[in-house]
Amino acid sequence: MRPTRLTLPTAMVLMAVSRNYRYGFDISDATGLPSGTVYPVLRRLEEAGLLRSRWEAVETARSEQRPPRRYYTVTGSGTQAVRDAVERYPTLDRAFERPAARSPSPRPA
Amino acid sequence: MKQLAPYAEPSEVREAPNHSARNTPPGSVIVAACATLVPSDRRAEWQAEWLGELAYAWSVRQLGHDTPASARVALWLRALGALPDAIWFRRHHGGDSMLSQDLRYALRTLVRWPGFSAVVILTLALGIGANAAIFSIVNAVLLRPLPYTSPDRLVFVFGAPTDGDSAKVGRSSSYPDFADIRARSRSFSQLAAFSVRQTTVTGKQFEPGIVSGAPVTANLFPMLGVSPLLGRSFAAEEDKPGAAPVVIVSNEFWQQRLATNPNVIGSSISVNGTPATIIGVMPPRFTFPGATAVWYPAGEPNNPQTRGQHSFTILGRLAPGVTSGTAGREVAGIAKQLEAENPGDNAKRGARVQSMTEAIVGDVRPQLFVLLGSVVLVLLIVCVNVANLFLARAAARTREVAVRTALGAGSRRLARQFLTESFVVTAIGSVLGLFVAYWGSKLLVSKAPTSIPRASEIGIDGNVLLFLLGLSLVTAVIFGVLPALQMSRAMPIASLREGGRGMRGGMARRGLRQALVVSEVALAVVLVVGASLLVKSFWKMQRVDPGFVPDRMLVVQIQLPQSRYGGYADGDRVRAFYADLYRRVAARPEVQSVAVAMQHPLAPGWTSSFTIEGREPPPSGQEPESSIRPVMPGYFRAVGAKLLRGREIQESDGVGQPGVVVINEAFARLHFPNEDPIGRRINRGSWWKGMPASYEIVGVVADERFNGPRAPADPATYFSLAQFTFNDNWLLVRTKTDAQAFVPTLRRIVWSMDRDLPLENVQTMNELLGDSVADSRFSTVLLSLFAVVALLLAAIGIYGVLAYTVAQRTSEIGIRMALGAQRSSVLRLVVGNALTLAVIGVAIGAAVALVATRSLQRLVFGVSTTDPGVFAFVALVLTAVAATAAALPALRASRVDPIEALRSE
Repeated sequence: MRPTRLTLPTAMVLMAVSRNYRYGFDISDATGLPSGTVYPVLRRLEEAGLLRSRWEAVETARSEQRPPRRYYTVTGSGTQAVRDAVERYPTLDRAFERPAARSPSPRPA
Repeated sequence: MKQLAPYAEPSEVREAPNHSARNTPPGSVIVAACATLVPSDRRAEWQAEWLGELAYAWSVRQLGHDTPASARVALWLRALGALPDAIWFRRHHGGDSMLSQDLRYALRTLVRWPGFSAVVILTLALGIGANAAIFSIVNAVLLRPLPYTSPDRLVFVFGAPTDGDSAKVGRSSSYPDFADIRARSRSFSQLAAFSVRQTTVTGKQFEPGIVSGAPVTANLFPMLGVSPLLGRSFAAEEDKPGAAPVVIVSNEFWQQRLATNPNVIGSSISVNGTPATIIGVMPPRFTFPGATAVWYPAGEPNNPQTRGQHSFTILGRLAPGVTSGTAGREVAGIAKQLEAENPGDNAKRGARVQSMTEAIVGDVRPQLFVLLGSVVLVLLIVCVNVANLFLARAAARTREVAVRTALGAGSRRLARQFLTESFVVTAIGSVLGLFVAYWGSKLLVSKAPTSIPRASEIGIDGNVLLFLLGLSLVTAVIFGVLPALQMSRAMPIASLREGGRGMRGGMARRGLRQALVVSEVALAVVLVVGASLLVKSFWKMQRVDPGFVPDRMLVVQIQLPQSRYGGYADGDRVRAFYADLYRRVAARPEVQSVAVAMQHPLAPGWTSSFTIEGREPPPSGQEPESSIRPVMPGYFRAVGAKLLRGREIQESDGVGQPGVVVINEAFARLHFPNEDPIGRRINRGSWWKGMPASYEIVGVVADERFNGPRAPADPATYFSLAQFTFNDNWLLVRTKTDAQAFVPTLRRIVWSMDRDLPLENVQTMNELLGDSVADSRFSTVLLSLFAVVALLLAAIGIYGVLAYTVAQRTSEIGIRMALGAQRSSVLRLVVGNALTLAVIGVAIGAAVALVATRSLQRLVFGVSTTDPGVFAFVALVLTAVAATAAALPALRASRVDPIEALRSE
């Protein structure tokens, strides 16, 4: 795994995911970053093992007559990275509000 | 089910039942377009994620308060983020691995078609290499600025005849004229003068030698912006009459004769017999003017008597804001004043300015541009040919492509594959081409005539490399895209069928390839016509009678320094030396004949004015001129010049005897068109004491082509060397056997008489004769080389198309033969096909050549650029080449077994 540099956008995306903003567009809304920035950061974090992605339950999507979405969660090693991010950008922590309870799965431990 | 979802499903949700979006969310088109960038193995998953988000956001917004329009715009904007994401994906996944996959595949393909690969790579290497080599010469000579400070501000001030009679007024000026122009003009921030003289140098450390020396004004080097590598430039006071002699030497001189001695500054060498202190060594490659080895101060030879001696060239730097037009008008005005003030010396002597760059490279520009143009033609043929080969191979690979398409390869994927393949081929071709360019330009420089200026600056440089890379890139794209375009039109099912011929696509493809062959033939015609014109004119030049016999003849110039031999007014020691030398050389058994003359038969020399006695003298300054060629007795017999009338110069025409002169045919034609010149007298004034003023014409000889074979001889006057003595003369020795073998003996004889005479440059007359046509030979050989390459390439192109066509039409030919067609008619069919292409190509090429060969106007001799013989010859050659190239495919077609051909249907 390549080490990931903790740039400001990376830290923002990481913290957004840890605050339960789990879908690409939601992360974009919460951080104010354009989707073209958010997605490559998500890919990199996932490749570095700090995030893990899953597809939402097919039933949920089907009931809403739409395709399933992909969501991201913080992994064990990602939790340490979130702490680093908070330490490095202390003011960021306050920038996020809790999202509406839409998460299809509980936060990882 | 309302409608099919417009996305592919990720593997994780493949089990999902049919779901469908309420409608297609805005921005899906962008996502779909960007998906093509994503490596195919990840594409479905990638697209699903984006469409999932878009569909969700769309469903949320439709429920919410947003107006449909603003929601739509918001989603479109958001979808644009898919582009950077897709690019990121491409860069970080798949992209590399796919490229290496493509590369591996391309290399395998290369090996699988060795003949094809070799031909394409060699063709490209030759084309690109030849182009880069010629371009590096053009770049060094024509495009790169001269290596001086602001070279575009440097201009020559040349003498110019006000009546257009350039024989009388040359480019050079007298020192008094230079001093006057410098004092009166306002257009120049600096004005310098220099001359070029054969200079004898002697020293303790080296053999005596004749080198090119330049008397210069002290400001020349600072004006050019060049300073010595060691030591210093001339000081203004060193450029005054009576100053202590100083000299600056070239880097080459320093290395070759002064052993690269770092402490050379302050030491002394002898320049023209006068000891001079070395004060500077110039940087490498600086030899201006010409190939100068030593520079010394001109010393202001500014007395009124020298106004008639036009031996200096004036170079100036334009003052800020002054255009060369303004400067030109000013110097013309000053020249007019000088003419009024010195009606004798400055009659009809105007002045003009010319940019230094133009003056140095202007003469070779047409020659180099013709070479560049022809090499570009070769490159075009190379491109067409390689494209043709690629197309032929693409046709042969139709089935392979069909299989790959059937297995899921998209047209983009195929295009990429083809692009990679062509890129690999062109890359290998370019690398080889670089070697060709490197060795080629070295070879060209070593073979280039000395008249090509700035030859020492030629080398492959960054610009040339960029040019080369650009060429490879363009060729790679062209060759990659053409087959890919074809492939995208291919019909996989039809191609997969056994014996499928891709009907319409095949026809269109053949049309394209035939068009390429026609253009190739046309391009070849242009080149071959150009080359043939040059060859024919070179042949004509070789057949010009030079007016003398050059075989087994050695020539060497011997300069007797005035310090030891006296000079001009006091010629006794000089005459005694040459008479003695003549006797000693003639006494050798291996010598057939000897001559001593101030000019050898290929040296134009210089002219001087005269009047014909008994005729009304022309106004002062308008006297006719003739080439001054004093000779010792026996000269004409020794060089093989034909005496037409009268007698030769004899022993009896010595000092104190009546003045005699032998004239050439050109002189007789011009001045005595309808009368016998023998017995008439010319008067050319007495230059120094004891020299006759009036000379009786005693003989007429056939013209020696002393201006080179291209130009007719000017009027010439052969005086008796004893009556018109100069210190510097040529010794011409015709040997009975090998001339070169006599060189050591000759050196021994001269050095036994005077150990300090330089004798390094002993040449044969044939070498000199070769040098006089070296320019033409250089262009002729190169252009012929290009023409041969063009012919070969055209033949390969025609062969390729016909071989392919025959293969395609095998079954058709089989049917024809089954129905009773003869082998001969099949042969006719195929060869006829080739000839049709050739004839169309020849017609187009000839039309283009009629226009293009005008650029050769200045290079040809004795041939019209529209010479019908040459055009007919080329048409014949091209047609013959086409027929030959068609022979193999035609034979193959005629041997088609009808049963076999029909079975494969």
